[in-house]
Amino acid sequence: MSIASRRRFQLALLLGPVSAFLAIFFLGPLAIMIVTSFLAPGLYGGVEWTFYPHNFGRILGFADPMFEDFDPIYIAIFLNSIEIAALTVLATLLVCYPAAFCIARLSERWKNFCLFLITLPFFTSLIVRLFVWVLILRQTGLVNEVLLSSGLIERPLDLIYTKGAIILGMTYVFIPFMFMPVYASVEKLDWTLVRASLDLGAGPVRTFWRVILPLTAPGIAGGAVIVFIPALGNFVVPAVLGGAKVMMFGNLIEQQFLAARNWPFGAALAMMVMSVMLIMMVAHVVLSGRRSATAALAR
Amino acid sequence: MKIARSLFTGGLLAYTGLFFAFIYIPLVVIAVYSFNANPVNMMTWTGFTTEWYAQVLGFKTKVSESALYIESTGQLLQAVWNSLVIAASTTAIATVFGTAIAIALHRFEFVGQRFYRVVMFMPMLMPDIVLGIALLIFFVNSGIKLGLTTIIIGQCTFLISYVFIVVSARLAGMDRTLEHASADLGANEWMTFRRVVLPQLFPAIVGGALLAFIISMDDLVITYFIAGVDVTTLPMFIFSMLRRGIKPEINAIAVMMLTFSFVVASLGLYLRSRQK
Repeated sequence: MSIASRRRFQLALLLGPVSAFLAIFFLGPLAIMIVTSFLAPGLYGGVEWTFYPHNFGRILGFADPMFEDFDPIYIAIFLNSIEIAALTVLATLLVCYPAAFCIARLSERWKNFCLFLITLPFFTSLIVRLFVWVLILRQTGLVNEVLLSSGLIERPLDLIYTKGAIILGMTYVFIPFMFMPVYASVEKLDWTLVRASLDLGAGPVRTFWRVILPLTAPGIAGGAVIVFIPALGNFVVPAVLGGAKVMMFGNLIEQQFLAARNWPFGAALAMMVMSVMLIMMVAHVVLSGRRSATAALAR
Repeated sequence: MKIARSLFTGGLLAYTGLFFAFIYIPLVVIAVYSFNANPVNMMTWTGFTTEWYAQVLGFKTKVSESALYIESTGQLLQAVWNSLVIAASTTAIATVFGTAIAIALHRFEFVGQRFYRVVMFMPMLMPDIVLGIALLIFFVNSGIKLGLTTIIIGQCTFLISYVFIVVSARLAGMDRTLEHASADLGANEWMTFRRVVLPQLFPAIVGGALLAFIISMDDLVITYFIAGVDVTTLPMFIFSMLRRGIKPEINAIAVMMLTFSFVVASLGLYLRSRQK
């Protein structure tokens, strides 16, 4: 056997099984989901193999001949989810950005330890981390117990099952997602530029807006994308901390599969999440491409 | 100016302290209150007990397994066992597959490398729920009965990516002169791979495997959709408990899970960071 053909044989051996696995069980299901979103729902669950674009129309509020009249409820839930996801991005950023500056200036040893402490929760059970917030926020939870026994309030506050509780829970869960990209850009920040700006007479506020913020923008943008996407499609956090009161898009998708059994509609809803994800990623690539292009021009 | 500056630095330090408090105080709270004896209201401290731990571990069974709760300790142990079986199987498969892709992409030239890279990063970016329902539609249409097998297959699709990323990072940072030296000294390719590449790669492979194990143990969303009606995993068990009503044992379970993932993840992260 020649060397080239032996290399090819080795490559086939390495990639063959895993490629087959991913083609069948990863790319295949995604393709089938896309097809399903264009099919008609069967009368008792399941699908009818006819082209049926109304699933998407229904999300946008138009009448679905099989179900109801004009009803913008789904688009309202969608916008509500976008709002919660956006607020989560903002909250994680506010929490992580100042801390990133502090940690970036620590000694190597402490830096690594802090980064380890921030990554660690990512590997602990999501459901356990949310459960803790249930214990803290619910009617008989820690916050209410403390406030009641200290006499500050007379009746327990409604903390859980609110939009705020969802945003708090999501922020808690997504901190590592925001911190890492933000930290990466803060650590790379060229402090000589900051000093130059201060020397040339710009105040601290102006230096922040005109120098520090633009230089760390790539990290902020990256963090925003990887927090926003999973927050938008999340259904565990709203299910645990939002109860039946606040609904997000993820809960709607879950309902279509496990309760309403309208799979094509559920698939169409999932496609909405996917399309938002694609739009954000394309925007991210285009914008960061333009940024690096302007940076190259400026040089 | 100097005072303002030190005030600012102090403020930043305080803020960072609060940042870590925000992350870790809730975990400390649950650890403390898992020893609370109060069986009704878990957040009102009435005394120290290890009863809940004993109950979870099966040392003690309360006579009145109170009718308030549907889940029993037996079901809990079954869920733990299912999670362990799934995690062990998925880790074995995902480690082999993820390492294979990483080696292929770093040591071979072929058309479609970019495509493989994109596929490897897709599960990281896609919301879990999308993959969950895609797999559900696929399994139901192809007539595979939902259960342990479908969970194992489904989890592997995204765990491969985690192993891939950890092993790739190591491969990218590896010194190839050793391999060239080994070849120059007459070792054949297999020998070089087994004696030179694999030992260097080993920490990353173990690290990737540990992370895959932990993520598999903790996965809720994807498992939830493809588990079917007969199989429950530990996160699913807790999730359904949270929806119905919480009993004090869940505190003990939660703390044990936290400890377990802390230990395994620390080991995994340590192995990953050990570059040289």
